[in-house]
Amino acid sequence: MICVIVSVLRTPHSSVAVQMRGKRKSCRQSYSSCLGASSRLGLKPVLTGRRLNTSRRAPKSHSITEKVTPEQLALLLKTEWKLSYVTPLYQFRHTQLRSYCRQLSAFIAAEKQQGLAVEVEGMQSGYRVSFSAVQGMAEADDDAETVTIQIHSKSMLAKQDEPEKLVWSGWLSCINGNPDYLHSLPNDFTCLPLFGSSGQEVFTFLVQSWFQKTFDCCFGPLEINHTSLQWLAALWTNCHTESSIQHLKLIWTLPVEPQLQITYTVNPQDAWSLWSSVRKDPEEENEGEEESIDFEEVVRFIQGLKNHFYKHFRLDLSAGTLKQVSTALGSAKYSGRIKISNSRYMITTLTLLTEAALLKMPI
Amino acid sequence: MDDTTKRLLHRLIRRTSTEMLKTTLGKWGRLTMAQRQSLDFTQSKSALTEELLTLCEKNGWTVKNVAELEMIHVIDNPNQGMWHAYRLMDPEDDACSVELTQFKERFKTHLSEVVRHVSVKTKKHTDEAVWIRIAWGDTFSRPNHLKPTYVVYHLQTPYVFVTSLTSKQKPLLSQALILSTRYQGFKDANLSGRKLTAIRDLLMKQYPLVFPTNFSSPVAEKDQTMSNPCIIKEQDGLEAKRLQMARGAFGDGVLPQLESAVYKLETKFKDQTNRIMTEREEPFRCVVKFTSTNLLESFRQCAASGIVSPPITPLFSSIPLKGKNYFALKDKTLGSSP
Amino acid sequence: MSLLKSFNNFPALNTANILLVENEEQFQQSLANALVEAADAIVNVRLAKSLPVPTKNEESRPRIDLVVFIINLTSELSFESTEASLKYLDCGYFLGKVCFMLTNARNASIPPERLDAVRKLASLLHCPLLFAEDQTPDGVTNAAERLLTILKVAAGHVPMTTALYMSILTQCTVLPDIDQPSFD
Repeated sequence: MICVIVSVLRTPHSSVAVQMRGKRKSCRQSYSSCLGASSRLGLKPVLTGRRLNTSRRAPKSHSITEKVTPEQLALLLKTEWKLSYVTPLYQFRHTQLRSYCRQLSAFIAAEKQQGLAVEVEGMQSGYRVSFSAVQGMAEADDDAETVTIQIHSKSMLAKQDEPEKLVWSGWLSCINGNPDYLHSLPNDFTCLPLFGSSGQEVFTFLVQSWFQKTFDCCFGPLEINHTSLQWLAALWTNCHTESSIQHLKLIWTLPVEPQLQITYTVNPQDAWSLWSSVRKDPEEENEGEEESIDFEEVVRFIQGLKNHFYKHFRLDLSAGTLKQVSTALGSAKYSGRIKISNSRYMITTLTLLTEAALLKMPI
Repeated sequence: MDDTTKRLLHRLIRRTSTEMLKTTLGKWGRLTMAQRQSLDFTQSKSALTEELLTLCEKNGWTVKNVAELEMIHVIDNPNQGMWHAYRLMDPEDDACSVELTQFKERFKTHLSEVVRHVSVKTKKHTDEAVWIRIAWGDTFSRPNHLKPTYVVYHLQTPYVFVTSLTSKQKPLLSQALILSTRYQGFKDANLSGRKLTAIRDLLMKQYPLVFPTNFSSPVAEKDQTMSNPCIIKEQDGLEAKRLQMARGAFGDGVLPQLESAVYKLETKFKDQTNRIMTEREEPFRCVVKFTSTNLLESFRQCAASGIVSPPITPLFSSIPLKGKNYFALKDKTLGSSP
Repeated sequence: MSLLKSFNNFPALNTANILLVENEEQFQQSLANALVEAADAIVNVRLAKSLPVPTKNEESRPRIDLVVFIINLTSELSFESTEASLKYLDCGYFLGKVCFMLTNARNASIPPERLDAVRKLASLLHCPLLFAEDQTPDGVTNAAERLLTILKVAAGHVPMTTALYMSILTQCTVLPDIDQPSFD
């Protein structure tokens, strides 16, 4: 809150009231109320609007490598990220990333002085924080640019040319965020609803609390639920012809004592054949329109896998919970951990996750 | 004292709990009474290691001595590492008369015939099992004591349990075993697990078995009287049937702790709702792995609670029945059967 | 294998009969105990994994006043099984003598779509939808008490009211939310 007051002091008097009003109002408008205002117990057609999209564009192999520099892409790829959702950031400016670096480093240093357990092995003289905006990641016009954050530790004993050690990294992103919702936000808010972190929990906590103090936002864990996992399984399999998925691995757990875990690994070619067999006839779709995937097809795909399984083991996987999906393109766990291994399909995955994060956001 | 001895001892101490180490050292018997009493087991692991290394130097222990210590430790803690079961095939007439000393002698000679540098140590355990520790070397290098293979052979049975065996060493071991046990073949039993006792019990059927019967056991009928007369189960019969079926397949006693089972399926896709795939000629290739801290117990629970629909598939009941946990399935028309 | 009929038997004095249907057969046992304990009248509880109930019990089965479908939201199968069971209920039951009880609704792994599906089902059949906590003893007692309130009415123990009348008040409706202010 402190920062809000500071900013209010800086702004001309006339705009104070407007700002505060706008802010309070935003608290009332959540993504769900925006999409299906009348849908908490809404009628059928509205009901689905509050949920994940039931149809999405087939992933194209995006030319993301042309738009984003490989160094920046490398920051996002091949690391397993723990996901959180973030409510819109108040007065976040992409132009002030440099000053945020200083502020966050100072914050971490101050917290460390207070005795908060930020102790990595060896002697640490301090931490260097770097913020950077990933140019070219945004898909839609309303998307705010993705921001990456890295924390390096500077060792006191280290030699001059020794590289600093990366102790924590994270990012905030918004890919294909719902335009209606984004438009409904007052100007002072930047919506970067998806937050990924990798590294010591302590740093995640510090970064989150700094964001909370500075931008008056809040964080919460983002699980990748059953529906999203099914979506990912189908979306990744759909890419097989362009980029081999190597395998499609699904992990279920069954509620028996002791817990039974089932790992179902499907040959990529066969997974693809099954996927094509459940796809709707492309001719039925409107010509000229982009290829789209319906959730119905996703459900049929997973159901097909389950049915084949049942025929052999007489065990219905629906009795259990889908916990994990992985292919060579990436892996996703129910606990909210995601790893994207191939930049070509990163956008599709992030679009889905952005949507999930917007849905999970409270208020 | 060479470097290998030190490393071997160091590694062993690191892996063992202090309490365990005390008893193991006692069994080993290479420390004098005074030395044993002077050892302070309450101090830190690193200090204890230092002390033992000094003793090692002083007493002039060789690699073989320390290897023996390791072997005692492994015999006492068999449930570590991945054990694979093998089965000896086609016994010769005199196979059942092979006794311990004869086997030990033969095994050593046969193995050193095929591998130039090899260090073999055997020990007979209380339960009729012969434990063999093999440190492999080759024509040019001395036996590597840091990567030993352990073999457990139960005399007069066709079962052999092996841990950390590379594919290169397998034929060598196989030949030595065949010749010294008077069998003619050596085959993978498709059973593996981290708990040696569990896979041994499963293979040798040393756990409470149930003989399939068609009569309901008296246990199935007593439940109803326990509960409140106001609460009645409509489908009581079904539940009893499920319980009986679960017991029939997996028994009702304590089950060997098997951790996993793998099925490699190359069968035709089966799903009536999907015509395209069901009519496809090629098999649908997938691998299904079941894991649990006690797999058979989990399966029994699944069957009892109805998650697995009756009748229980032979794929599950084969695990205790055939003593296997790896299955490769192909459709009969395509070639071999499961 | 037949339909469960709502009026095929005479009611007994000061007695209410409830049928709990749950595919997992876990919560129903503790709930049944709590129901019998908490009730001041005689409550007979019948437990089933799914419907139809076996015909061999037809003779001994009293008139069922309330059918409760327990759905564990973490399991897809639980919902599917309930959907299948519903077909074996006489339509007379849907006049206030059926209710749904959901467990694990707070679990984060549940896709919201599943809750929606249950909601839609309940509102389509004009049945009340109750949420219960099955892990704690308090939650179980609480759930039992709520069921008893409905059961009493359904069994005709409450003068001046009927199950049908009450269901108008308690049934799950998928109502439009209060309108939110529009965006500028």
